Amino acid sequence: MGLEDGGSAAGAGEGGGGEGERFRVLVVDDSPVDRKIVERLLLRSGNLFEVIAVDGGKKAIEVLGLNYADCSVDLILTDYCMPEMNGYELLKAVKEHKLRKSIPVVLMSSENNPQRMTRCQAMGAEDFILKPLKAVDVQQLRHYTRPAAAAAVAMEAESAAKADGKRKLPPMKVVGENKGSERQPRPRLARVAVS
Amino acid sequence: MAAATLKDQLNGLVNSMFAEGLLDDQFTQLQMLQDANNPGFIAEVITLFCEDAERLLKELTTLLYFQTLDAYVHQLKGSSSSVGAQHIKHGCIRFRQFCEENSKEGCVHALNLVKHEYYRLKTKFETMVQLEQRIQAYEGQQQQ
Repeated sequence: MGLEDGGSAAGAGEGGGGEGERFRVLVVDDSPVDRKIVERLLLRSGNLFEVIAVDGGKKAIEVLGLNYADCSVDLILTDYCMPEMNGYELLKAVKEHKLRKSIPVVLMSSENNPQRMTRCQAMGAEDFILKPLKAVDVQQLRHYTRPAAAAAVAMEAESAAKADGKRKLPPMKVVGENKGSERQPRPRLARVAVS
Repeated sequence: MAAATLKDQLNGLVNSMFAEGLLDDQFTQLQMLQDANNPGFIAEVITLFCEDAERLLKELTTLLYFQTLDAYVHQLKGSSSSVGAQHIKHGCIRFRQFCEENSKEGCVHALNLVKHEYYRLKTKFETMVQLEQRIQAYEGQQQQ
């Protein structure tokens, strides 16, 4: 994969999904320390993930633009606070793009900000994780990844649903703030049924 | 010097850093990410952190606007939190409070405190990296 400055690929190969295959995660973070740690967390998670790491939203858009024809990014894991193009703006660009909107996006932030979480939820984020990330957070990511084949099916289903005039509601709610010790549940977007 | 002795020195150093509160549990998380396949992970992360922290501290020393100050302090708080640098993280939290209050005196005091904590940590991190590298070199020779 030919990435320009500000990006790196670890374990790069075919898109993920399916039994024994790995999920390709695009990690977006302007902090070199956090990119290094998140990449390591992903690569150590039982051979589940391949990682492409870039240092900003604009670089992420370039990567998605170059690779979308192969649907080879199964998940975007992005920091919220970044210069030039922040994580919310990246999320918005993905979710408002007719071809890219099915790529799951998970946001990370060191700030426990319920308004920020709600805003991201409303824009279609899969989850919002507090930094620093831990191994248990990374294990959860596999539930959000999108195998390339299933993505194509999802896009077709969405087109058909829109043609029928039916509106899909994202089944999520924001969990309350996390206060106190590390052992308490960390704030994230929890999926619940919405009638 | 045998690898076991070096490892004892390294463990002693790290334990003392935990005891002093210089490091928190996040550093333990990082240690768990280092293994035989990636023996230099801790040294790499520490090196990245120190480079990033020095860049941010240099910027903070010359900045005048509270909003820009806060942005850089936020970055330093984030990276120090990620490596388990507890005192620096807490110093940054107080620093941001002074930024919110637009307190120049508070910000100057907070910056000096964060710098003090960083250089105190840096000295120990440098020793840690040297020990890690000596252990890796010794174990590399043993495998040949």
